[in-house]
Amino acid sequence: MPRLVADVEACQGYGNCITGASDVFDIDDDGVVVLLKEKVPESDRARVEEAARSCPVSALSVED
Amino acid sequence: MTDQTGVIGDVRRGMIPAHVYNDREIFELEKERVFSRAWVFVGHESEIAQPGDYVVRRVLEDSFIVTRDEQGEIRAHFNMCLHRGMQVCRAEVGNASHFRCPYHGWSYRNDGRIVGLPFHKDAYGGEAGFKRKGQRLLPAPNLATYNGMIFLSMDPDAPPLEEFLGDFRFYLDYYTKQSASGIELRGPQRWRVKANWKIGAENFAGDMYHTPQTHTSVVEIGLFREPKAEKRKDGATYWAGAGGGTTYKLPEGDLDERLRYVGYPQEMIERMKEQWSDDQLRVIGDDGFMISAASVYPNLSFVHNWPRVAESDDVLPFVSIRQWQPISEDETEVLSWFAVDAEAPEEFKALSYKAYLMCFGSTGMFEQDDVENWVSLTNTAAGSMARRLLLNSRMGILEDDRPVVPPLGPDAFHGPGEARTGYSEYNQRALLNHWADDLEKPPSKAATLEVGGPGEGAQDAAGRTSANADQISLPAGEAVAQA
Repeated sequence: MPRLVADVEACQGYGNCITGASDVFDIDDDGVVVLLKEKVPESDRARVEEAARSCPVSALSVED
Repeated sequence: MTDQTGVIGDVRRGMIPAHVYNDREIFELEKERVFSRAWVFVGHESEIAQPGDYVVRRVLEDSFIVTRDEQGEIRAHFNMCLHRGMQVCRAEVGNASHFRCPYHGWSYRNDGRIVGLPFHKDAYGGEAGFKRKGQRLLPAPNLATYNGMIFLSMDPDAPPLEEFLGDFRFYLDYYTKQSASGIELRGPQRWRVKANWKIGAENFAGDMYHTPQTHTSVVEIGLFREPKAEKRKDGATYWAGAGGGTTYKLPEGDLDERLRYVGYPQEMIERMKEQWSDDQLRVIGDDGFMISAASVYPNLSFVHNWPRVAESDDVLPFVSIRQWQPISEDETEVLSWFAVDAEAPEEFKALSYKAYLMCFGSTGMFEQDDVENWVSLTNTAAGSMARRLLLNSRMGILEDDRPVVPPLGPDAFHGPGEARTGYSEYNQRALLNHWADDLEKPPSKAATLEVGGPGEGAQDAAGRTSANADQISLPAGEAVAQA
């Protein structure tokens, strides 16, 4: 199952990932990305990868 | 600013200074005193049926994102980014969980709360520099709905919407609640005309007198079953609460026959009988009047008519909701929606839409007849001669203010307010008297909002901030006078 990785140091709080997949990504009160799930089913891979790629500072990735 | 006491006094006695239909100073006063406090229609719940659905609508220059958030709550956010003031949402309609400003990338959930604030730590020093917590797009000062119709008021202390509408709600139900499901809308079509906004509002409120002249050709080509346009004087006009309108007199018959006469199928009639009060049914069944055009102060109108839609003698009714959105003293953006009962049969919906398009909207024959007059009137009202002319808007009253025709008694008209048959300008006067009331009332001071500034608290639920915001706010009147 695809595994989500977030670099909380790199995150700058754009929030673009939330627009792409609000069931997977959120931003906490300090303005830093939070993963709502660690893994997503294969069927969600394309959608979540697209949301991750929308990060302007490349803080997100989807790994196998 | 010029003292308008004379203008207001003239309007109150039914004599209208012609320049009010094209006058920059009057328009500035309307912005400050009419549209700063009235309930203004912005859309219908059916336009934003699903979570995330939104439409972008304006109240004068103020753009609002009218949206249904993820919890299903209807909200109206001032469409301006808290950072540099860019318009956050630039589409007119859509579905979105979030809105992201194109300028620096700040983003907001569809309930208005801020989400994305790039480089909050690096650029602002985090919360110590900019309090991100609790920030949200500025909500409209006041929002309320009636029969699914969404209204905004720029006045946080506006009277409740139902109180504002008052007894006009009785008539509003004919257009917007023909079944328990209410209406669904198509549109709006949106276009601009070089005409003052008040002219359309007055016309729809009560101008039965123009029909035989302005719309002669529509009757001549056989679009209507009634061959004589002057039939209109047999109808009644009524004014109740914040609005008023016109009716047609129906031929003899009972309630069902009269509703069938204007083209409603029996299954819709059955639902109307479940939905409407005894008095609402009596206006049609006993009194024999069918609602037609109407206006709600200041700039919302309705129309209900029943043209022929095919070669046969069969007619079919349609309802349109329209708004006269002021752009300037001589320009109006018209928003025209088709409305139909959500439970109506599909075939009825299709034919009713056709009937609407023939009569109103940008292709409508009535629309084109009307606008030719309104543009010409506005144009002529701009000059110096118009400042010497007081238009007589006293139709229906004698010189000593006695009525030409007495109002209908409670047995002849079962609706609230005051109704009378025949041609008159009672409704246009009622509308302009509401206008005069607002123009006379000085504006109240609007609270300002600081976005995460020093010593400033977060917004509360209504978008208001702590008391010291008042210290830096200008009275609205002063701001307008400087403009």
